Amino acid sequence: MIRARGVRFAFPGRPVLEDITLDIEESLTTVVVGRSGIGKSVFLKCITGLLRPQAGSITIDGDEVVGATRANLLAIRKRVGMLFQEGALFDSMSVFENVAFPLMYHKLASGKEINRRVQAYLDLVGMPEYSQAMPQELSGGMKRKVAVARAMITEPRYLLYDEPTAGLDPASAAVVESMIRGLQREGAITSLVVTHDIDLTRYIADRIALMEDGRISADAAREDAFQESSAIYEHFIVNRERIRAENDNQG
Amino acid sequence: MSHAKSEAAQEWKHAAVSTASMYGNFFFWLFREPFPTRQLGQQIVRVMLEGFGILAVAGVVEGAMFAWLAGWYGTKFSVINWAGAASLYLLLTAATTLFGAMMFAAKIGTAFTVEIGSMQMSGQLDALRLMAVEPTQYITIPRVLASILSFPILKAISDACSILAAILLARLWFDISVPVFLQHALLVLRPTILTTSYIRCALHGFFISINACGLGFYFQGGAIELGRTTTKSIVINLVCVLVIDTVYGVMDSVFGWSTM
Repeated sequence: MIRARGVRFAFPGRPVLEDITLDIEESLTTVVVGRSGIGKSVFLKCITGLLRPQAGSITIDGDEVVGATRANLLAIRKRVGMLFQEGALFDSMSVFENVAFPLMYHKLASGKEINRRVQAYLDLVGMPEYSQAMPQELSGGMKRKVAVARAMITEPRYLLYDEPTAGLDPASAAVVESMIRGLQREGAITSLVVTHDIDLTRYIADRIALMEDGRISADAAREDAFQESSAIYEHFIVNRERIRAENDNQG
Repeated sequence: MSHAKSEAAQEWKHAAVSTASMYGNFFFWLFREPFPTRQLGQQIVRVMLEGFGILAVAGVVEGAMFAWLAGWYGTKFSVINWAGAASLYLLLTAATTLFGAMMFAAKIGTAFTVEIGSMQMSGQLDALRLMAVEPTQYITIPRVLASILSFPILKAISDACSILAAILLARLWFDISVPVFLQHALLVLRPTILTTSYIRCALHGFFISINACGLGFYFQGGAIELGRTTTKSIVINLVCVLVIDTVYGVMDSVFGWSTM
């Protein structure tokens, strides 16, 4: 379980997270929604120890991330995989080398085993025929699928997704959505997704948390989140309709 | 206006601190497992291939330029037979190292900064960290060691090109025969001139690559900031080359390394 308590983070002169408190339940997919630039990606980076909060506590399976030593952080990170916004594939490596990289670098498996596992994960994300392609030959959606295979190859307990469908056309977004859902069904992975994509949220979320003003202002199960009285429904539907109406009136 | 100036000063200060901290990081990670042997091999090949063209061309231009200057003064002061010796001495003791280091900074240093900056921008460095891979160990150490090892070899290639260009120009323009050129040149050439110049190249390779990598890691922002950081990389490295060359030259003249 990932547990965040009172997490505060600020860039110099710009507060981002004020007081984030959230539990990411085991084997569920929690989606954090909120406006662009509100700090959702920063929160993910705090969870993985890439950014260090100024206050608060984040634990993964009871191990404290904030202020952890390098050795502890390495041990914690082995339990966590992350999909970055653009995939963050290594440009100089082929798809195969990208996916195999964590296993090869840490010598976690033999050559044969690496081949087998890479092929299995490329099959899982629907990219078996692209193992020799270079990242620049792939579309945005394909890059993200390969990035998911790379994040999963070490079989982490937790998978974090940073805007997995941002900038994708509807068809590619649908493919990525199906893949995330498929992975949920395949294994007992705990997922945390940050997004502002309502379709993705509806499709994959078990729980939905709304981030506003550096805080989690609402946290509910999917069925409750899309009730008309909920703050999350208001964020997604009512606000959007209001802004459209205001703009139409001005126009 | 003064706000913009203070922001620029802050930016330079931040860049300098980040670059300086890379020196500490480099030595901290250099002796830790796993040593990036494969990446080192790849970077040596890369630096050699990327640096070969520019350093060979620079060598030809320098050789021709110095041979022409030496020939012109040799004719003026009636010591034309010494033109070969003079040009070769100037080339090997000062010119090819200094200009070569500038070319190396421009070509390889900026390539390192842009590459690492782009990796920073696209999240690749964070991805490495998340895979429990230390970027300094995986990215900086191979590039710095490859620069230390490759730049002296590139300098030797550049030297060969400059000597050939000098011989050719002396023959065609000043009618100095090849045996006369070489006979006088060999009188002033000592092995220590070459060894000290290659040691100086290794030093330049070290400082240029660490500065360039440090600035790549320092980079934050988008395309405009990456452009600015690349400019910083070339400016800092050119200044660094001049300072190192001056300090080394002074120490050489005090301790007489190249005249031993």
